[in-house]
Parts: sequence; C-alpha cells; structure tokens
Amino acid sequence: MSMMKNLAVLGLAATILLPGQITPVTAAEIEIGLWTRADRSGPLRAGNIVAAADTVNKMLAAAGSPDTVTVSIHENNAKGFDADALDLMKAFAANKAPDIYVAAHEWIGAFAEAGYAMNLEDHIAANPEYYADVIPVLWNATLYLGKRHAIPQDSEIRMFFYNKDMLRQIGKSEDFIEGLPAMVESGEFTIWDLSSLAKEVVDGGAAEYGIVHRPNVGPDFLMTMASFGFDPMDEQTGKLQASRSALEGFLSWIKWNADNGVTPSNNTSFSWDTINHLLPEGKTFIKHHGLWDVPRQIRFGVSEDSEEAYTNTVGWVHSPAAEKGGSPANLSHPIVYAVNPGSEHADLAALLVAIASQPYFNTPHAVTTGHTAIMHAQSGMPAYQEAWALSRGAKLLPNASFMPNHTQIGPFNQAIYKGIQGVETGRISVEEGVDFILDELESELGDDVVILD
Amino acid sequence: MSADLITQQKRRQRTNFVIFLGPACLLLLMFFVLPVVVDIAVAFTDMGRTLKAGEFTFENFERMFTRDRRLLKTLTLTFIYVLGTLAFFNVTFGLILALVTTALPSRAGGFFRAVWLLPRMSPSVVYALLWAWAIDPTERGLINQIFLALGIPILDLQNDFPMVLIIVANGFIGASMGMIIFTSAIRSIPEHLFHAARTDGAGGLRVVWHITLPAIRWPISFITVYQTLSLLVSFEYIWLITDGGPFFDTTVYALYVYKRAFESGQYAYGATLALLLVVIGVAASMLMWRFLNMKALLQEPRIEVH
Repeated sequence: MSMMKNLAVLGLAATILLPGQITPVTAAEIEIGLWTRADRSGPLRAGNIVAAADTVNKMLAAAGSPDTVTVSIHENNAKGFDADALDLMKAFAANKAPDIYVAAHEWIGAFAEAGYAMNLEDHIAANPEYYADVIPVLWNATLYLGKRHAIPQDSEIRMFFYNKDMLRQIGKSEDFIEGLPAMVESGEFTIWDLSSLAKEVVDGGAAEYGIVHRPNVGPDFLMTMASFGFDPMDEQTGKLQASRSALEGFLSWIKWNADNGVTPSNNTSFSWDTINHLLPEGKTFIKHHGLWDVPRQIRFGVSEDSEEAYTNTVGWVHSPAAEKGGSPANLSHPIVYAVNPGSEHADLAALLVAIASQPYFNTPHAVTTGHTAIMHAQSGMPAYQEAWALSRGAKLLPNASFMPNHTQIGPFNQAIYKGIQGVETGRISVEEGVDFILDELESELGDDVVILD
Repeated sequence: MSADLITQQKRRQRTNFVIFLGPACLLLLMFFVLPVVVDIAVAFTDMGRTLKAGEFTFENFERMFTRDRRLLKTLTLTFIYVLGTLAFFNVTFGLILALVTTALPSRAGGFFRAVWLLPRMSPSVVYALLWAWAIDPTERGLINQIFLALGIPILDLQNDFPMVLIIVANGFIGASMGMIIFTSAIRSIPEHLFHAARTDGAGGLRVVWHITLPAIRWPISFITVYQTLSLLVSFEYIWLITDGGPFFDTTVYALYVYKRAFESGQYAYGATLALLLVVIGVAASMLMWRFLNMKALLQEPRIEVH
C-alpha cells in the first residue's frame, strides 16, 4: 500500500474513532459485526475484513491511539446464498443486523429497497485511492436504482467444460477440438450443435453422459437461457420479464438433451458430490459450471496440475448461441460486501471493506478459490499470474452478463428451476413447462414481472 | 368462622389451580394457542422477506383459493403420503414388529426392537444423509452398489419412485413408535387368555385375531390418530432427502407451507397456507375421534379396584 493510502487510512480512522478527542482517556474497543455465509469456497471473504481491521489497528497503534477495532464474525450455515440472504433479512428485522455483510450481488436490490444496504456512492467518490482501479463492468452488479450499494468482492466466469480426449476418441481432429471455442465465439457453432456433438460422444461410447448441469437452483440456467435470447430484466422499467418464445426454445433444448441421452433425465436427483466427480472421472463429456471448479477438477484427477496438462484434456466454451450467427452467452456472479446504513460505525465498516478490497488482500482469495480479480492491478501480481486458470478465464469476461439486482430474483429463479426439472424428468411437456413457469411467475411475482410474446 | 373456612378453602383451591395447572396452561397458551393467533394475524397482512407487516388484506386468502394451482395437487399428495405411511408402516408394520418381537424369546425380541429403534434415535440430518447416499442414482449409491454386484440394473428411487421413497424413509422411523406402544399393550394382556386359547386348539393367527387384536384396539386407534396428525405436519425428512422433488412429486402440504414461507420469504402467504393446515388437522382429529370412538377410550373405568 502506498504512503498516500496509509495516511488516508490513518486520517479516516482517526476521524471516525476519535471525534473531538484530543487526549483519549480510556481505550475504546470498537466491535464490527460481519455476517457471512459459512462457505468453504471463500473463507477469505470474512478473513480479509479481519485482516483489514488488523491494518487499521496497526495504524492506530502507530499514531499512539489505544483504541482498537475487532471484527466479530457470524458464519451463517445456510444451504446457499438465497437462503443466507433470507436469514440475513430476518436478522435485520430482529435488530440483530451486522455492520458488514457478504451477499450474492443479485440480493442487493432487495436489501437496498428495505433500507439495509448503504448507498456507497459518496464513500466511493471520497476514496478514489481505493476504488479507481476496480474493473468497471463489475460495478454493474452492485447497482440499485443506478446507485452503487455494494463493493464487488470477487468475480467469476462460467463455462461448459468439455473433455478433449473424448473428442479424440470419437475421431475428431485436433483442429476441430482446439477450434471449438473460436467457432462458439463467432456464433458458427450453436448450442444445438453442441448437443449433437455430445450425443455423438455418448453414442460413440466415449462417455456415459453428454452434458451435466448443477442439481439445484442457480445462475447457470440464466446463462444458457441467454443463448436463447432470454433477458430476465427490462432495463428501462426495472421490471423482471420472461419471454414465452425464449423459454420454449430453452426448454425444447433441455427436453432434446434428456430424450436423446445427452443429459441424464434425473440430473437434478444427483448430489453435488456425484456431479463434481463426473468430469474428472471421465463419465461426462461436458459439465456446465464455473471457473472456481478448476482446482477441484484437478484435485479429483482430471489431469496433472499444470496448465499444459489441463488444457490438453479440458477445453472451455461459452454457452453457444441458439442460432447460427448469434452471440454466445456467459454470466458472472460476483459476491459483494455491503454495509448496514443503520450501523453505529457505518463509516468504519465501509473503510474496512475498502481496505479488504485492495489487491494485497483480494488476490489470495482470488487465487485460492478460482475467482477472477476485481481490480486491474491484480493481474500484474506474481501470485495471480501463476494462477493460469484465472488469466485464461478472464478472456471469457467480455461476454459476461449479470443476474438482475431485482428484489424478486430468488422466486424468479426458483420457478425456472422447477420448470426445468419438470421437463427434464419427463413429468411435463415443453408447453406445460412454459405455462408452468409463466403461471408461477405471475402468481408469485404479480406486477413485478412482465410476460413477453 | 365457617364462612372464613369456606373462603380459605376457596383460596386454597385457586392457589392449587395456579400451582398445579398453571404451568401446563401457560405452556399450552405459549406453544399451542399463541402460535395459532399469531398465524391468523400474519395471514391477514402482506408480510414479506423483511418481516414488516404493511396493511390488512384478504389478498392471501384470495390467492390461496383462486390462484394457487399447486394447492389441490399438494393436498392430494399429502393424503396419499399420510395414508400410505400409516397403512404400510406406522400402524401395520409397527403391529407386525410388536407381534413378532413379543412372540420371540425375550432377548431376541429386545434386540430386534432395539434395531428398529435405531432410525428414531439417529439425528434426523444423519438419517437423511444416509438415505441420500443410499439412493444416489449412480453407482456411488449404496443400493446401486448392491444391485450392480447382483447384476441388477441401476435404480433411481428418487426420480422413479419418489412417493415410495418418502413413505419408506418416514415409515422406518414411524414404525418404531407403534412397535413400542403395541408391545407394551400386548404384554399387558393377561397371559392366561393365551393359554386358554391354545388349550382350546387355537393356532397362532387365531390367537392374534381373537385375543391380541381386540385387546389392543385402543392403542391401535390412538396410534392411528396420533400418527395421522404427526405425519400431516412433519416434513423434515422429505425436505432433507428429496427437497420436495423431483418437480413437486414429494412436496407434501407442510413442506409446501415451509417453502412458500421460508424459502420464498412470503411469510404472510405461508401463514395463510398454515392456517388451512390447522383447519385440516382439527377436522381430521374430530372425524377420527368420532369414527374410532375415541370417547370410549377416555371414559372412566366402570370397575374400580381398591
């Protein structure tokens, strides 16, 4: 950290901690509450805030202040970020709110609307030394009514991982195998072509399954749906929207995959553990997941732990366009820090977030959990450069979109997932699936959603 | 003086009432009456994820009766689940276990009863995790490992027979309660009745039919009523094993209420749905009370032994 930044931190901390005190009589211990989901995929999300408090404490000590800042962490044992956000809402309602919390970005709208997320525009403007280097596109994930209400803590990229050895096994040329990402990028190779290829691999006996996806609700499906032109939010009105024709296209693809042995019709009955072993164990040709899965794939034995060995075995593509000439889709799902505007120490909390977001703190989180950087400067750090998967993944970022920061995105995703499950398991037809999703959305969300087509 | 005595007695009666019945009344009020009152109050609001109640509204009732397309299907599913679990496990299998284990030598009977109590003694999450592992639809699952060793094709219980799965998973736990109650009831039947029946030439089944079953009629009625109500409101094993899926195939009514309230954050609508569950529970109790003649079970004994 530069000298200027140190001085700025000290000045800000002194302003916050010692208002009007020239000679503090007694030492104050300020406790900052932090809410985070107990999540093995990102322990430093909380750890970096604690480290930021240590930095502030060192500066206070250097300035001769007896005051200290401590961070008390509440690790919430929720099944996912949606469940965690609902628990946090309850904590706010019961006056047990933390000063800082970690959340999935799409919940920021709900928190901000309820008055639980601080508008950080002034804080960001007042502290350019901390925020000027943030990758601009990531700010989009923190907006509510056009204002930034959170600080991106990490970023990611999702993709279809495909097994190159299986393509070799069914006789595909190296040119085809290595050229696949470019063909997807140009829109020449569609999502239907990908399914046909997966069927070829399964029929050729190279894999048991063609394409597997997550077995629960999550952002991946919106990424594939974007390939079919499904845009979940109308930016003009700020309302959620659902297109009947895009849903029809997407669910037809799901059904085709299930009917043709490409995706197991009981994919949603699989446990995460089973899903995570399928690619490394050579049982599936394609797995739809995210960049953070790469360390696990290597740990489970997909290849040797080197860039060369991995890229010789596994390739990455976006979700291809549904029609030739269309654009492929990707989706990033940043996790963010937000500050409770009702906190007695909101400014100090924001300062801790600012420090925790600096490259020195954020890079260890990024490289140990397979998340891409939030600042440009991180790409120059040796640790980041050594993490070859991150720099490769960052190349897919330009096609990334984000989930809408809408208050009703949780029920919206739930309805879509149930529809997918119904069609994939053969319990309902594509038409019934579309009707089911649209009915659920209308019944659950009412005026918050507009049905298109 | 006598008036004083009466007053004192009355005061004593009131004190006794407070001391002996007070705690029970307080608990009843806190955990049975108050939740229903709160539920009714919440049902008439628009309380959402922030737990803030805005306005008084009938919107939730209107939605439940006119727009909720899952309601009827969920209720039908619940009926099948409750009936199936009762019929195959909680009453019938519990009875079979009791009959068999009481017929066995005492040590062997005790051992088998202990084995059947194990699922009930396991923490629910551990029990559910074991099931999740057992039914994994790939060769990683315990059942499929056994099937593969026997040359039987892989089975996906969760996808192909979801209702059977939740009935069996719940039934394995539910059967033990019936087993304990029925065992105790069978043990209390005077032994000379069995000897007399045997002397008259009755076989095992006839003894069960003519001696045992009539003697344990009331415990059977009690278990039926109690377990029906218990199954109506329980969902934790279903939630942990299938999460109500695939699609809505195992979303029983109590789970549906939970999901609407706590997974979607629609607390007011969840409260409205829960209110219907209270009504169904009360109606089911009253019907069974009437048809199983439970009043006779609770009447005062006609013979008093001194």
